[in-house]
Amino acid sequence: MTKQDLGNEATKVVAENDELLIERTFAAPRDLVWAAMTSAEHLARWIGPHGTTTEVVEMDVRPGGGWKWINKYDGGSVTFAGEYLEVEPPTRLVRTTAPEDGPAGPPAVETITFEEVEGGTRVHWVTRFPSAEVLEFAISAGMAKGIIEQFERLADLLAQ
Amino acid sequence: MSRVDHLSTTFAALADPTRRAILARLADGEATVGELAQPFDVSLPAISKHVKVLQNAGLVEQGRQAQWRPCRLRPEPLREVVAWMTRYREFLGVSFDRLDGYLAELQGAGPQHNDVPERPAAADHRDVPEKTEPNGETP
Repeated sequence: MTKQDLGNEATKVVAENDELLIERTFAAPRDLVWAAMTSAEHLARWIGPHGTTTEVVEMDVRPGGGWKWINKYDGGSVTFAGEYLEVEPPTRLVRTTAPEDGPAGPPAVETITFEEVEGGTRVHWVTRFPSAEVLEFAISAGMAKGIIEQFERLADLLAQ
Repeated sequence: MSRVDHLSTTFAALADPTRRAILARLADGEATVGELAQPFDVSLPAISKHVKVLQNAGLVEQGRQAQWRPCRLRPEPLREVVAWMTRYREFLGVSFDRLDGYLAELQGAGPQHNDVPERPAAADHRDVPEKTEPNGETP
């Protein structure tokens, strides 16, 4: 029953039990947002923190298809990979995701929906982590603080 | 042990509610196995077993004479779980920020805000009110 509303004006973030919801409205038509998320050329242009580069190794957007990309930063890299479970352009994408290195764990499942709204496209990104109890415990053990700090940093970035 | 296995062990150890309660108790300070057993309706050996699982996962440390030496919380594996999820969230949050800018760029809008430092010599200030959208309608 742990529910926390976090985030800022641009991005809504809610952590509840084993689910993390991130919602953001982009000022762009739905087809374009879908393309930005499902084509390798587009994805490499925005995924990952500022100042890093991303190499898309695999992006087979169909049910059962794999995806993998490597985000490279100064002095290291992190690889994420998974499998597409549901693909319904341009409205819905379900995939598994797991980091391949660093502190890893059982894969999470991401359900991403694209909704046409006034002024653009609302992306609703729900990540279900493998264990409700563990996530809840992690939140009570200090995750909430981390979230708030993160979004203060994000607000700083947006203000620049 | 690889870090993946390590984290899986942590998840498994945390999956049990009694063990989470034990950790929550230890977060307030050291306690003996006897003290840990008090709030629970289970036997001392059963609590000892839970403590052993937590010990194997690196979440609890304890001296050799298990019954008498106090147990202490080791937060490092917890931090790894939090780090994993925090990193995921941070990654996505910052990426969304970049996606916002990239989508604007694709649509030829450039950065959303008034001052565009990339074009320092943009002396031709056109008489276009800031808020007017290309297709005229005000929202």
